[in-house]
Amino acid sequence: MDWEKRRRDAPRRVTDKTGGTEGASHRQLVLHQSRRKMNLKSERRGIHVDQSELLCKKGCGYYGNLAWQGFCSKCWREEYHKARQRQIQEDWELAERLQREEEEAFASSQSSQGAQSLTFSKFEGKKTNEKSRKVTTVKKFFSASSRGGPKKAEIPEAKAASPSLHRQASLETDRASKEFIEFLKTFHKMGQEIYKQTKSFLEAMHHKRELSIEEQSEYAQDFYQNVAERLQTRGKVPPEKMEKAMDQIEKYVMTRLYKYVFCPETTDDEKKDLAVQKRIRALHWVTPQMLCVPVNEEIPEVSDMVVKAITDIIEMDSKRVPRDKLACITKCSKHIFNAIKITKNEPASADDFLPTLIYIVLKGNPPRLQSNIQYITRFCNPSRLMTGEDGYYFTNLCCAVAFIEKLDAQSLNLSQEDFDRYMSGQTSPKKQESERWAPNACLGVKQMYKNLDLLSQLNERQERLMSQAKKLEKDLIDWTDGIAKEVQDIVEKYPLEIKPPSQPLAAIDSENVENDKLPPPLQPQVYAG
Amino acid sequence: MAQTKGNTQPEGAPHQPFVFKVVLLGSSSVGKSSLVIRLIKNDFKEILPTMGCAFFTQMMEIDNSALKLEIWDTAGQEKYHSVCHLYFRGANAAILVYDIANKDSFQRAQNWWKELENEFSPDEIVVILVGNKTDLEDSREVTLEEGKAFAESKKLLFMETSAKLNYQVTEAFTALARELLKREEQNGGQTQQGEPRVDLKTTRIVKNKCCLD
Repeated sequence: MDWEKRRRDAPRRVTDKTGGTEGASHRQLVLHQSRRKMNLKSERRGIHVDQSELLCKKGCGYYGNLAWQGFCSKCWREEYHKARQRQIQEDWELAERLQREEEEAFASSQSSQGAQSLTFSKFEGKKTNEKSRKVTTVKKFFSASSRGGPKKAEIPEAKAASPSLHRQASLETDRASKEFIEFLKTFHKMGQEIYKQTKSFLEAMHHKRELSIEEQSEYAQDFYQNVAERLQTRGKVPPEKMEKAMDQIEKYVMTRLYKYVFCPETTDDEKKDLAVQKRIRALHWVTPQMLCVPVNEEIPEVSDMVVKAITDIIEMDSKRVPRDKLACITKCSKHIFNAIKITKNEPASADDFLPTLIYIVLKGNPPRLQSNIQYITRFCNPSRLMTGEDGYYFTNLCCAVAFIEKLDAQSLNLSQEDFDRYMSGQTSPKKQESERWAPNACLGVKQMYKNLDLLSQLNERQERLMSQAKKLEKDLIDWTDGIAKEVQDIVEKYPLEIKPPSQPLAAIDSENVENDKLPPPLQPQVYAG
Repeated sequence: MAQTKGNTQPEGAPHQPFVFKVVLLGSSSVGKSSLVIRLIKNDFKEILPTMGCAFFTQMMEIDNSALKLEIWDTAGQEKYHSVCHLYFRGANAAILVYDIANKDSFQRAQNWWKELENEFSPDEIVVILVGNKTDLEDSREVTLEEGKAFAESKKLLFMETSAKLNYQVTEAFTALARELLKREEQNGGQTQQGEPRVDLKTTRIVKNKCCLD
């Protein structure tokens, strides 16, 4: 029914669209005439264009336009419409095919048709439900692209690409469902029951979207438990197969639910993510020595392992299924064990492992760490988390994060002053270690530390200069003050007194400037005679 | 396509083992890993050839019933003490290891017991106290009596071992396994075979406070 509706819709939308630029047919004629005039004009101006190139490709006699790929507006509209129809048809066929495959999967697993026809029709009903959902999304593509205006219409190929791009996102979901159906085939009759249960669970989850994440988590855990019980009691599935079945169910369900239940807005997961991220950034200065990490990164093999471990733990965020996320943690842990083993030349124990994992987390700063941990704890099959190797490594990761959050001076064997200084970024303990850089360390980083070194030296010298200048200034002030004081003292001690001249004659003499030019005073002479 | 019941599945699966989660606690270098490696490999060397693991599984057979021990090694350093409770979730048993030549490690084993006491009720978990390194008899700091007295006062299993000399290692694990089976029988099929003794309802409550407290 929906399909019919869309068929009717599609041409109308196309009309709307071209109508926007072109309008009804009587307007076309006018436009054509004016355009013809323009073309003639350009011809007269000496630009050579072959007359036949200007005409509509369909040969209707009207002039064509490049914007319509050489068609006249009327023919273009027809062509465009056809292309549209074809594409819609193709899209629909694809959707149809997917549906059919799903149905076939179950038809083939039907052992007796008669008894189950009732349940099967119900099953069909759900199918159509889903079908209509799919169709509406397809419709969305078109209405969205048709709003894109005439520019997009020029290149029908590009248009075809846009919905497929859209489809990319759900590609993983489709693949997951295909795999799931393939897998369920091996369970024969039981498979259909599981499928039904899974479907109704997904639908119920859809309605529970408003609820708190804890309730949703609880519901999912109940679902896991119910399915497991059903498989065990009714399906008599052997334990080896059981685990695989549970994994497949989890994969199918969680690929679909991921975007609704990972870091949902109703929780403060995001805030916590940011807090952890900030915390790890603030701890960038922590060295392997401080954590007593038994890993020597100067050995190329070891640093290789460290890089791999970091890559794995970062990759965790890109996975959708909790189990895949766990697998990333396990892979990361294995690389850590290798790194320790190469360094110490003996097998690692938990005493070595946990510090190294902490170091890797600090170094990698994996995105959305807290959200991922929460998502896994909420939606992973619980038996996976509490037992088994994956669970063990996951628990270690939880410990590492908890430790990082609580980490203090004591846990790094540092004094409180040093810790505070490093945390505030005043100094970096790495500075003293710059001499011991591994030969393959990044040149830029080396240069940076060299520059940091220089800067801190400069800073020191500047501070010294400043303090000396201050001292000099003070000295100068003290000196002038001292002199002034001394002078003052002397002035006070020996006040200036002008005494009246006591020897006026001498004074007269002394006032005589030309005294020495005078001949000596006459001396009495004795004459004989 | 028609499936006949029971041809793919051995009815009842009588030898399906019980799975128990065992947490290994003790200060660093008291020989936690060595004990387990001795149990699994049954050959102790100064330098162990395997890649080394902190997670072990060991199949055991006690009185015709098979069981699987899943052993979780933990970091023993004092600074990780505050996060160790995260390992306890869903554990069925704990092994408290101390070094008989190190008084301090005995004290720390007692601290761990307090942690366990906070987390579990006595019938929820089987605990064995293990005094390791009896080969260092000359520098013994914790007497056999001290260990025994503590174990008796808290109703723990107790054993002195030497991972190096392979003295009573298997015995210690066997005693633990026997006790686990005994408890299992007392609980009388409350838990299913093949599944770890994990109650989903209670776990969920604990789980929500993961790493955040």
